[in-house]
Amino acid sequence: MRNELVIRDLHARVGDKEILRGVNLTLTSGEVHVIMGPNGCGKSTLAHVITGRPGYVATSGSVTLNGTELLTLEPSERVREGVFLAMQHPLEVPGVRPVDMMRAAGVTGNVESQLAEQSRRIGLRTELMERFVNVDLSGGERKRAEVVQISVLQPKFALLDEIDSGLDVDALGLVARRLHEATKEWDLGILAITHFRRLLHELTPDVIHVMSHGKIVATGGPELAEQLERDGYEPFREIE
Amino acid sequence: MKTFLNIAHSQITGLPGAVERGRLLDVIERQGLPTTTDEVWRYAPLSQFNIDTFGAPERSEASPAFINDLTHHADIVVQIDNGRYVAAQGDMPGVHVSWRDEGAIDEAPYQDDAFALLNTALHPHVLSIEVDTDVSAGTVLLVHRVGTGASFPRTRISVSRNARLTVIEVWCGGTDAFVAPVSEFEVGDNAHLTHVTYQRLDSSAWHVSRTTARIERSGRMHQSVLCLGGQYDRARNDAELVGPGAENQLWTTFLGSGDQVHDLRSHQMHHVGRTNSVLLSKGAAADRSRSVYTGLIEIERGARRTDARQTNHNLLLSPQAHADSVPNLDIRENDVTCAHASSVGPLDELQRWYLESRGVSRQDAERLMIEGFFKEMLDVLPTDVARVFEADITVRVREVVA
Repeated sequence: MRNELVIRDLHARVGDKEILRGVNLTLTSGEVHVIMGPNGCGKSTLAHVITGRPGYVATSGSVTLNGTELLTLEPSERVREGVFLAMQHPLEVPGVRPVDMMRAAGVTGNVESQLAEQSRRIGLRTELMERFVNVDLSGGERKRAEVVQISVLQPKFALLDEIDSGLDVDALGLVARRLHEATKEWDLGILAITHFRRLLHELTPDVIHVMSHGKIVATGGPELAEQLERDGYEPFREIE
Repeated sequence: MKTFLNIAHSQITGLPGAVERGRLLDVIERQGLPTTTDEVWRYAPLSQFNIDTFGAPERSEASPAFINDLTHHADIVVQIDNGRYVAAQGDMPGVHVSWRDEGAIDEAPYQDDAFALLNTALHPHVLSIEVDTDVSAGTVLLVHRVGTGASFPRTRISVSRNARLTVIEVWCGGTDAFVAPVSEFEVGDNAHLTHVTYQRLDSSAWHVSRTTARIERSGRMHQSVLCLGGQYDRARNDAELVGPGAENQLWTTFLGSGDQVHDLRSHQMHHVGRTNSVLLSKGAAADRSRSVYTGLIEIERGARRTDARQTNHNLLLSPQAHADSVPNLDIRENDVTCAHASSVGPLDELQRWYLESRGVSRQDAERLMIEGFFKEMLDVLPTDVARVFEADITVRVREVVA
């Protein structure tokens, strides 16, 4: 069965400020979509609204996964439906170990060995999984730990909020290749937010979206990323 | 307190320093026990405390199963029942465990503390642990089993120059008990002592403890205090930093339920410059329980480049729960870095959301975070040892956080 994540006319605010102003996007299993756009255009807000971050309020529209409305669910229920957010700045949770977090998230079997195996696949030292969640991890290690969690939880869709920031070139290659494999391994659908084309080399996106002022203003193939690199976002601001 | 003192006088007959002990009991009788009009006892439910109801300690209760698991991780295991040495198993070269007659008693350090004075008058002997110079020792586990009645355990731990030691003390049992332990730590030049207290006494127990540490040049002491049990649980942990480069880390936590009162106190005294203290106190109060945190950092004139910080976070899990936080600074030197912060409030919303965004339900996220208060305190122990405690903590937290 093909899974489908559908975002329809999504409006959202943070505090009193409207950030999303009618986002439409459909993502299916195994596809890689990339959202690019200038700072403050609403890319991260979109990811946070979908996953239910406190303070990020959807004011209208819908986000459905295989027909189930996500916006009315608790954040944890959204994950269990199959949407996972790899954060731009993964938070520290002192006193909580990854293994206990994964068990509480419903992972069964030998969770320690699953975490260790997935850590090895992206070159993350396995002993880091013994520490409390993200505590004393570098920025790059935290990003890799997010990918380990994706690999263990195996969601239907992963939202990657600047997964490439903080990673060195080698780590970026490992992470991107692992995520690309996941699109084949369990048909993971990916919605990646990024500013940089280098992520696209290994992740091989199917669709690129340009976001501006809270809307998707252009959609195309990889050639769109080349155009952005050449011309910047200015031409897309004019499209609005 | 007449009934109690009559029994006490009969108990000290034959103990070393019996005459001095008797004199000290007379002093205590004249002074009386503290009341809530004394500032330092203001938050204690002393109106519910009748010392005359506590006789000589009776047979101690069996220790919980997890202690058996702990013994596999310790190099030396010492069992103490009602403050009396029972047995020690294992040994380490350069580490000396003895049950010692200290001869003359010295009440001078405890003039302001009636319960520590009671311990000074009534402790049977002193459990002494000494580590020789340059010895990097492993772990000593002290298992305190507490029975009904009053007991006054006394411990002295001395880590000599360049030596290292980890001591774990577990307190269990304690139904209808009053236990007032006093522990004294000496950390020599460049020595390192890690001390973890895991207090999971019965919820009817009165536990009034006091520890004092003296830390010499470049010595380090890390102390973790985990408080789960007791009707009234008071842990006063003091440290004197007397040599340049001395460091003291004190981490305390509690989980209150029912009508429990957890009263955590600390006094870090920086006598000289380039000394460092870090205090972290976190806890959660459920039901009608109360917590008090009172911390004093004192920096003497001339103690330049001292760095002292204290942080206290309290989580209230029910509308009837209550927490008081009283951080104090007494600084007599300008060239220092000093900070204190305290809060009473809910769990960190973003940390909780992070867990929820992994698929953890809100209830489980909160439970994990509260368990985390305790697990953080155990982070100084090897993971396999910490895991033994963590399993016990998980059970206890699940009882409280439904």
